[in-house]
Amino acid sequence: MPSSSSPSHGLQTLVGLGVGLVGVGMALGALSIPSASGYAGVGPNFLPWVVAAALMLCGGFMVREARSGGFRNMEDAVGSDRPYWPGFVWMSAGLLANAALITTIGFILSCALCFVLAARGLRLAAGEDGGPRSWVTDTVTGLLIASPVYWMFTKFLAISLPGLTQSGWL
Amino acid sequence: MDIWNQLMQGFATAGTPVNLLWAFVGCAMGTAVGVLPGIGPATAVAMLLPITAKVEATASMIFFAGIYYGAMYGGSTTSILLNTPGETASMVTAMEGNKMAKSGRAGAALATAAIGSFVAGTIATVLVTLFAPVVADFAVKLGPPEYFMLMLLAFTTVSAVLGQSTVRGLTALFVGLAAGLVGLDQITGQARYTGGVPELLDGVEIVLVAVGLFAVAEALHAVLFEGRVVETANKMSRVTMSASDWRRSIPAWLRGTAIGAPFGCIPAGGTEIPTFLSYATEKKLAKPEHRAEFGTRGAIEGVAGPEAANNATVTAALIPLLTLGIPTSNTTAILLGAFQNYGIQPGPQLFSSASALVWALIASLYIGNVMLLVLNLPLVGLWVKLLKVPKPQLYAGILIFATVGAYGMRQSAFDLFLLYAIGVLGLIMRRFSFPTAPVVVGMILGPLAEAQLRNAISIGEGSAMVFLQRPMSLTLLVVIVAVLVVPRWLKARRSAA
Repeated sequence: MPSSSSPSHGLQTLVGLGVGLVGVGMALGALSIPSASGYAGVGPNFLPWVVAAALMLCGGFMVREARSGGFRNMEDAVGSDRPYWPGFVWMSAGLLANAALITTIGFILSCALCFVLAARGLRLAAGEDGGPRSWVTDTVTGLLIASPVYWMFTKFLAISLPGLTQSGWL
Repeated sequence: MDIWNQLMQGFATAGTPVNLLWAFVGCAMGTAVGVLPGIGPATAVAMLLPITAKVEATASMIFFAGIYYGAMYGGSTTSILLNTPGETASMVTAMEGNKMAKSGRAGAALATAAIGSFVAGTIATVLVTLFAPVVADFAVKLGPPEYFMLMLLAFTTVSAVLGQSTVRGLTALFVGLAAGLVGLDQITGQARYTGGVPELLDGVEIVLVAVGLFAVAEALHAVLFEGRVVETANKMSRVTMSASDWRRSIPAWLRGTAIGAPFGCIPAGGTEIPTFLSYATEKKLAKPEHRAEFGTRGAIEGVAGPEAANNATVTAALIPLLTLGIPTSNTTAILLGAFQNYGIQPGPQLFSSASALVWALIASLYIGNVMLLVLNLPLVGLWVKLLKVPKPQLYAGILIFATVGAYGMRQSAFDLFLLYAIGVLGLIMRRFSFPTAPVVVGMILGPLAEAQLRNAISIGEGSAMVFLQRPMSLTLLVVIVAVLVVPRWLKARRSAA
């Protein structure tokens, strides 16, 4: 897309730098891996060095592309150009709360909470006002999805998911 | 006759009520995830990987295979009826299919897509049946240097040739390789990049990466950028084809299959090239009175050919997966991960060591294709209703399933934090147009390729010359260089001319 504006090139530079940094990180990590190659001639630290070098190189190329007219052959972006950050915060809160709470309040409640928060973000992103009724609907829908999923996986497939109680039903 | 007997035994295994049920549920689920935007076969299989801990290998592979090709049927429904292009494979279908739907011929487009998928899927399954054992016999003779070169070929095509940008494709590949490095080195047992976190000693779970990159990243992208995107759906019409539709579709199906199947067989991957090739062929071969329909009212050949090519490629891709252990797409990479969870390593030995499983899987492809034809022709109206699920509930619901997959694998809340981090990474990748397939392929194939590389060099007594001294590996090396150089050279020549 030739129409991309200059601020996005700044972001592209950042992405390139980030990739390069990951490469540097990989190299630092590779320092502490012994070569111990034995018969093989190449030891456990060989691929790490290759990956580190390649990522630094790719990062460099991307920075160069970003500074000279932007990334080449970009796919057309779907949706709007302007990100809707409040929605992102809602959904992130849902996912992180789920990660933090799943072992304490159990799969069903934790997932239902994640569902409600994520759906809130998506509703706001779509421009819905999201009155009290939608909170109730989302809570009920979340529970209606999470509970059968929990029972199906724990009862039929014997995959252990955390519950609030020991009963295996909640 | 040997193949025939083994196939019959495969049918006997796949035909038990329990396995038929798994196949059916897989096909139905595959169609559903194909129809639903925001979730594809790779995500669906990845989310369900935890079942490998409890469900017997044959049943779960039949189930996963059902999801794998069921999604191809479902995907065409969405691309014909919705005016937003989905995955790249169905983009070509969307071009003509959408035009047909707009001029009131949605039903015919859906019918030719479903029947074409069935024809191509079945022919390609016959090819798998006949050729996979032959390839396996041949592959037994390959040593570590040749395997390494084959894997290098897969890496090259997936990252540097198929995508939009070589540099971003390679970056994605090396990010995947980096993720594959985390954990214990397979040969020496040396811990790498674990940072003292005990959870990382086992490595990063493929479920996390796949579900994070696809499902979570997709949901985050939707909430950030797609809130105001209004999707418009085309009107359904009766699913039927006229005599002229049949006359125009049948040759297109066969040509599409002929184009698609070889592309699936080579360890190069990607359905974009065969579908576009098929589209171009159909446009060129169309009768003058039909050619005008391309891009205007929608030409049925333009749906029939690419849809068949797509399915033929996807089915034939099972040949390199099963006989060489080389995945060439997101979904086949995850299927390889599923095999690994059972301690089964796909490769030439698979046909002897796990022959019952392989043949049951192949037999289930025949059965699945019939099931899918029934699921997608008379029952298509049912799936169309899925397109009405409102987005907030759809994406929020996907997150619940993502949790099951990520948590169910190792029962660790740490993984859920990691899932979020990978989701954010996937969001950045998507926004800056990085391909995801190289990450997944790199992560799964990386450790295998590393082991082959090190074994190869031990065979060469510490010298990398071993790759040049063996004719087969040298040939493969030449192919890899050609794949990298020729397209660029052609492009440079064209722009110079």
